[in-house]
Amino acid sequence: MIALDGVTAHSGDFALRDVSVAIAAGEWGIVLGPAGSGKTTLLETIAGVRRTSAGRVRLRGQDVTTLAPELRRVGIVYQHGYLFPHLSVEENVGYAADARAHVREVSERLGVDPLFDRPVASLSGGERQLVAVARALAPAPDILLLDEPFAALDPRRRVRLRVELQRMHRERGMTVLHVTHDFTEAGTLGDIAVVLEAGRVIQVAAPSVLFRKPATAAVADFLGADNVFAGQVTRSAASGMSELDTLLFEGDGIRLTGVGTHGGGQGHAVIRGEDVVLARQHSMPSSARNVLEGTVAEVAPQGVLARVTVAMGAATLVAVVTDASVRELGLARGVAVVASVKATAVHVC
Amino acid sequence: MTRGTAHRAAAMSVMGGALILLALLVLPVAALVWRGGAEGVRQLGSDGELQHALLLTAAAATSATLVVMLLGTPLAYLLARNRMPGGSIVAALVELPLIIPHPVAGIALLLVFGRGTPMGAALARAGLGIVGSPLGIGLAMLFVSAPLYVSAAREAIARVEPRYEDVARTLGDTPWRAVRRVTLPLAKRGLFAAAVVMWARSVSEFGAIVILTYNPKVASVLSYDRFTAFGLDAALPVAAVLVLLALVPLLVLRSLRSEARATTSAP
Repeated sequence: MIALDGVTAHSGDFALRDVSVAIAAGEWGIVLGPAGSGKTTLLETIAGVRRTSAGRVRLRGQDVTTLAPELRRVGIVYQHGYLFPHLSVEENVGYAADARAHVREVSERLGVDPLFDRPVASLSGGERQLVAVARALAPAPDILLLDEPFAALDPRRRVRLRVELQRMHRERGMTVLHVTHDFTEAGTLGDIAVVLEAGRVIQVAAPSVLFRKPATAAVADFLGADNVFAGQVTRSAASGMSELDTLLFEGDGIRLTGVGTHGGGQGHAVIRGEDVVLARQHSMPSSARNVLEGTVAEVAPQGVLARVTVAMGAATLVAVVTDASVRELGLARGVAVVASVKATAVHVC
Repeated sequence: MTRGTAHRAAAMSVMGGALILLALLVLPVAALVWRGGAEGVRQLGSDGELQHALLLTAAAATSATLVVMLLGTPLAYLLARNRMPGGSIVAALVELPLIIPHPVAGIALLLVFGRGTPMGAALARAGLGIVGSPLGIGLAMLFVSAPLYVSAAREAIARVEPRYEDVARTLGDTPWRAVRRVTLPLAKRGLFAAAVVMWARSVSEFGAIVILTYNPKVASVLSYDRFTAFGLDAALPVAAVLVLLALVPLLVLRSLRSEARATTSAP
C-alpha cells in the first residue's frame, strides 16, 4: 500500500504541493500528467530519494516519511534506466545484496539473460530499460515504481514486458505506481489513475471514469478529448430523485444539454468523438437531447476509423466513426450532416 | 581587399599569434633540455646529492598527494553535491592558496608551524618538526597544490549523475556505500587526473619550500642552490632533469585524456 497525505516536496525550483494519493496493496496505479507536472518527483518522494517538506508518506501502513531509501524496500525504474556504466549487465541486475536468488529467474522471465555479457555502453535504449526493470525486480520488492519503463522498447518487447510485469504483479501481490503517457497502457494496466498538473493532484479515479468524466477541461484536453467547449452552465430544476441534474451549457458557439453535477456558472462541456452519431438527415424522433446541424469540414482517416470534423457556425464538433460509415453516408467535405449526442454523453465540468 | 584575401589574412594572423605563444612556451624549456639534458641524465648515475634531491622530491610530492586524496576527496564530494553548508565560501577558501605568492605561503606556514609557535613546538616535541625537515617539504607542497586536487576532484565528481547514487540507495546501499560502489568508480579517472596534476605541481614547487625547508634540498631548491653558488652551467643538468621528471605526469595526463576520448566515442 502506498499513501501520501498532504505531501510537499521540492526538486530544484519545482515543488510537488499538498499531494494526497492512496494506492491499495496489490493495485496498479497509473500517474498521468503533462511534462513537468511532477510525475518523477512523486515517484522519487515515495522512494525516499526526495525529502518531503510537509505531509506524511506511508508504505505498507507504516509511516516512512523520514526513513532512508535503502530501508523502504521500494524498486524504482527511471525512464533513462540509469544503469551503472562501470558494471556489466549481470552485475547491474545483481547489484542489490539480497538480489542474488532472483537474478536468474527475473532475467530469464524478462529476456535479459542474453545481454549479461554485454557492456552497458553497447545496449540500446530499450535494452537499458529492460535491464533497469530486471535490476529493480531482482531484490523482489513488494512496491514497484515505474517511470515510463516501456517508452524506448520496440512493440514486440513492449508487449512481452507488459505481460510479464502483469504476471509478476499478480504472483507477488506487488503494488505498482506507473508513470506513462500511453493512454492505452493506462487503460489496460491501471486499477486507479492519478492526474498531476503543475505539482498538484487534479484527479484520482479509475482509468475508465477518468476518460469519460475528466475533472477539469485541462484533464480532458490532456487525455485527448475530441471536443472541449468553454461556456456558461445553468442547472435546470433538480428531480430530487437522484444527485444528478439536467445541465444546460452554452458557449463556444454551441448549446448542449447534459446530465451531471455542477454548481452552475463558468464551466466546460466535454464530448468524446465516439459518442457523436452522424446522419445525413434528421431521423425519426430519438432520445438524443442534442441534435445539431452542420457541414463536414474535414474527414481524417485513421485506420479503420475516421475523425470527421463538422462545422456548425462558429463551433466545430469532432465525431469518430468507422471508415464503413464514412463510405455509406458519403461523408466528404461540404456534405450537410446532423450530429446527435445523448445528454448523458455530455460531461459538464 | 577581397573577402578571400581578408579571410587568408585573418587566418594567418591567428596562426602567427599561436606560433608566437607556442615559441614562448616551448623555446626556454627546449633550450634547457638541449643544454643540460644529456649531462643531467649522466649525472643521475654519479651525483649523490642530485639522486637524493630527486628521491626526496618524488617521495614528498607522493606523500602530499596521498594525504590530500584521503582528506580532499570527501571535501570535493561535499562541494560537488552542494551538501556543505556555506559551500561557495568553503570553495573560495580552498582555492585561496592558488592566489597567494608561494614565498608568502611559506611565510604563512612558518607563522603556524615555525619553531617558535605553539603548534610548531608541540609537533617538534612529538618528533614531527616541520621547519628544516622532509615533513616541512610535504606540508609546503600540500598547501600550494591541494587546491588543484580539490577543484579537479570536485568537477570529476560533479560529472557523475547523482541519480546513480539514488538508484543505488533504493537497491539497499547506505549513502557511503553508494558513493564507494558507484560515484567513486565512475569518477576515478578524473580523480586520478586530479592527483597527477597535484603531484606535478608539488614536484615543481620552490617558493614555499625554500622558506620552510632549505635543507634537505628538493630538486628545485638544489637547482637554485647550484645556480647561485656555481653559476648557470652547474644548475643546468639539475634543472633539465627536473623538467624531464615533470614530463612524466604530463604524458600520463595526455594518455588519460586520449583513453577517455576513446571510451566516450564508443557506440
